[in-house]
Amino acid sequence: MASRLWASRAASYLRISAFHRGFAIVAKDFKYADSHEWVKVEGNSATIGITDHAQDHLGDVVYVELPEVGTSVKQGGSFGAVESVKATSDINSPVSGKVIEVNEELSSSPGLVNASPFENGWIIKVEVSDAGELDNLMDANKYAKFCEEEDANH
Amino acid sequence: MRVIRHLEVWKMGTVNYLDALKLQEKLVADRKAQMIPDTLLSLQHPPTFTLGKRRTDHNLLIPESELINMGAQLHYTQRGGDITYHGPHQAIFYPIVSLRDVGIGARAYVEKLELTMIELAALYGVQACGGRKGETGVWVGQRKIGAIGVRIQSGITSHGLAFNIDPDMSYYKHIVPCGISDKEITSLRRESNSELPDDEVIHEQLVSCFARQFGFSITSLDKHDV
Repeated sequence: MASRLWASRAASYLRISAFHRGFAIVAKDFKYADSHEWVKVEGNSATIGITDHAQDHLGDVVYVELPEVGTSVKQGGSFGAVESVKATSDINSPVSGKVIEVNEELSSSPGLVNASPFENGWIIKVEVSDAGELDNLMDANKYAKFCEEEDANH
Repeated sequence: MRVIRHLEVWKMGTVNYLDALKLQEKLVADRKAQMIPDTLLSLQHPPTFTLGKRRTDHNLLIPESELINMGAQLHYTQRGGDITYHGPHQAIFYPIVSLRDVGIGARAYVEKLELTMIELAALYGVQACGGRKGETGVWVGQRKIGAIGVRIQSGITSHGLAFNIDPDMSYYKHIVPCGISDKEITSLRRESNSELPDDEVIHEQLVSCFARQFGFSITSLDKHDV
């Protein structure tokens, strides 16, 4: 009960919606891929990371493999990986384009992905080549429902 | 309603590491394309040392040339985890499974791999437990009996687990196993007071434990000639 109260307070402070299904907090202005990456588009550039749902299901991230700046990415294609609990999991790009920045902090602090998946744990920034592709992604409501269905599935 | 999922188990005998790796790559692609069901490769390797994606070769204590002279191989892979040894009398499982279909993530998957080995150890009177934070694997006290190293691509698993039945422990001298310097490696032979049956029997039991953990119904195929 106390943690729910904290969650709603934190949510209104951060101006995001806390969906009280499991503990995944889904930030509202982002878009989501069904492989649990998020993308925040600002003008021509997109910031990409993995969601709270993803980091929770991965466990403590101990290593992040980042692409080189300048690498091309394709919607749905893999661009890097994270390691947690002796498992490397690939990360897929929700958009196509060119990598313009990577979060170097993650090399020394991979745990940022767990602690702050939607903010300080961002992974890459991409110059978007096809804004139309965003239509293929889910909004916050759809994504929250998607997570619920996935987690109910076993 | 509990959905029964189907698992195809390939019983492969001793397989060269690179051959097994190539096969897994093909099966991962096939599984992703939904051309095959969830599949489990059950096998052993000849003496082989492997490294994970982080390439922690500072944990290899001898030069590669010496390794080759003693008849072992060294391979760099994309799996998680640190350096480890594989060899005869160590049961290897490479599950090629769609985690999305099973409905779990990496952490839960690895926990089930741990439980599979823990259950097997219990059959022989050995009380083992899973790793605590940062020490994924299966432990008997402070001694490691089972190792895990997994790769997940588009939700499809490859690599998997290695369970020590009765391997030649002297090979472990040449590495800092799993990057952990202050803990020993052990085996079922060392920990159990029971008489151990043939490896084949133990592999079958391990398959049953795996199937139970994941809710699979299994079909076993003899794939010694693949």
